[in-house]
Amino acid sequence: MKKLIGLLLVLIVLYGALITMLPPRAIGQNNFNLARRVGQYGIISLGAGVLIVSGGIDLSIGSFIGLSATVLAVGIQRKGWSPATGIAAVLGLGAVVGWIHGMLVTKAKLQPFVVTLCGLFIYRGLARWYGDDSNAGLGSEHETFRRAFSKYEFAGLPVEFWYLMGAVVVFGVLLHRSTYGRYLFAIGSNELAARYSGIRVDRYKIFAYMLCSLTAAFFSIMFLADSNSVQPSSTGSLIELYAIAGAVLGGCSLRGGEGSVAGIVLGTAILFVLMTTVFVAGVSDKLEYTAIGLTLLVGAMLDEFLRRRGTAVRKA
Amino acid sequence: MHAPRPISVSFSAIITCLALAMSGGCNRGGDDKIHVAFVTNNPHAFWTLAERGCEKAAKDFNVQVEFRRPAQNSPKDQQDIVDKLLLMGIQGIAVSPNDGKNQADYYNEIAAKVPLITQDSDLPPGSKRRCYLGTDNVGAGKAAGQMVKEILPDGGQVVILVGSLDVQNAVERRQGVLDELGGKAGATGPQLGKHELLTTITDGGKADECKRKVEDFLVKYTGDPQKLCFVGLWAYNPHMALEAIKTAKLEGKVKVVGFDEDEPTLAGIRAGLIHGTVVQSPFEFGYEAIRILTGLVKKDESVLPPGGVLYIPFKVIKKDEVDAFEKRLNELRNPPKAA
Repeated sequence: MKKLIGLLLVLIVLYGALITMLPPRAIGQNNFNLARRVGQYGIISLGAGVLIVSGGIDLSIGSFIGLSATVLAVGIQRKGWSPATGIAAVLGLGAVVGWIHGMLVTKAKLQPFVVTLCGLFIYRGLARWYGDDSNAGLGSEHETFRRAFSKYEFAGLPVEFWYLMGAVVVFGVLLHRSTYGRYLFAIGSNELAARYSGIRVDRYKIFAYMLCSLTAAFFSIMFLADSNSVQPSSTGSLIELYAIAGAVLGGCSLRGGEGSVAGIVLGTAILFVLMTTVFVAGVSDKLEYTAIGLTLLVGAMLDEFLRRRGTAVRKA
Repeated sequence: MHAPRPISVSFSAIITCLALAMSGGCNRGGDDKIHVAFVTNNPHAFWTLAERGCEKAAKDFNVQVEFRRPAQNSPKDQQDIVDKLLLMGIQGIAVSPNDGKNQADYYNEIAAKVPLITQDSDLPPGSKRRCYLGTDNVGAGKAAGQMVKEILPDGGQVVILVGSLDVQNAVERRQGVLDELGGKAGATGPQLGKHELLTTITDGGKADECKRKVEDFLVKYTGDPQKLCFVGLWAYNPHMALEAIKTAKLEGKVKVVGFDEDEPTLAGIRAGLIHGTVVQSPFEFGYEAIRILTGLVKKDESVLPPGGVLYIPFKVIKKDEVDAFEKRLNELRNPPKAA
């Protein structure tokens, strides 16, 4: 709980700094833009976060988003699929890819890092091959699809934000209110102990990989609806880092067994508010990433410092 | 403790088989054909038309062409590819150097072994490349600047969008825009005649980052949107700017001019939301490069352009030409299959 309050305070400070730099009439638009980004990236951070809680990692998220977005755009644009067929196809693809990751990690006993690093290369190549290295988009057609996954607004907020709220409910119940969630935390904390206490570890881990790839597939649907243009060679590249950063910033430990849905959403929000703040503050393009990295590092150090002090005080 | 497992042997065997199966697509063809290569500087869609040009030239001149795109925008990856091509017995190479200044020594060594020409981006003066062919990027930038003047004749504010400023074509195009607006070579701004350059936004070659930054720029912008124009120097920049403008509900007010022929850019021009785009002719890059290389391999020096530079003309596409241009583009992209 303390952790969440800390994250919320950081978010409020950053956001406060951001709006003082903006003309008052622009604040509404700024909130709208941020809600869209947090909506889109929050969903993949949730997928990545659940996996991290279980002690896994997925480095192929970005490449898989590239492949999934390419399949969707090429399918609809060049092969004449209906958007519904395309959506079903990429969600199916996400489930299959996640299942393969899970099987390789649990049954073939390969390290998650290795499996998904190979995936990173494989999916990027497949995207370029399937898209024939040509950009793909929907032109000015399929307005309904684009509205459903990006352009639609409800209560002044973009539809992506509402999808995230839906995902928060689903993931919240799953992680914090179900046996599945308890087992995931147990597996992430001590896999061997979980196995000896009769938890079907493999099954739960495979499901976590599937959830992660499914959220990536869903992201690619929102991505195409939003930007309407997919570059097979670059779309999605490095997005896994945003997803993992959002989750870790929100309190997921890369050692597994720690994390919360609320934390992940706050972590994602901090990341994107920070990026906007750095841009609006006029930090030179050249130093932008440095500013973001340093801020995150200082945050992590502060968090560790407070945690240790807390432990020391309790011990004393 | 573990004995070597037989599984690792069979695993390597599987990998080898897979690799061999995949390389089956690369056919070595007629053995006595001239064998040349075209190497790009990144895998972007821009090069697809160049590949079509190479394919047509391969047929017309009866040569075999290896078309290779480095997976990253990286000089190291590019040099690895060139080294492998030489091992394959390539007789001539057309390359778009990733970092001409620092790759000059490397490519001079290559030029001593096989005929080497540069395309799209050149090596510094004094290099041993036989010739350069590509777009006059300063001229193309000026054409974009000309469009800014047309759409904001009484002056206004300009924001330049580009992936990165460490690529020569980006630097030259940007300079062309500045020169045209400022009315003199080497203009630096921010005041350029009646126009003012507010900033140059880079996005590391990532389209989604370009959109995010333009959205943030528009949130912060306090001037008159009717007097604001984005100039997108790389292919995705103009239509990503347009998407961001739509998010801010300023379409039709904020102006956009751009480069290259991405489909959403052409759609934006058709809808009257993007004023125009400067297009290069990558198909001709491919075709001309293979024509010149074939000549050089045959020791025919007459194929070399005078002065060692062949500018492939660029075109400016606005609303009235966009349909005809797109039709021609589709014909080039999907040539009828020969029986």
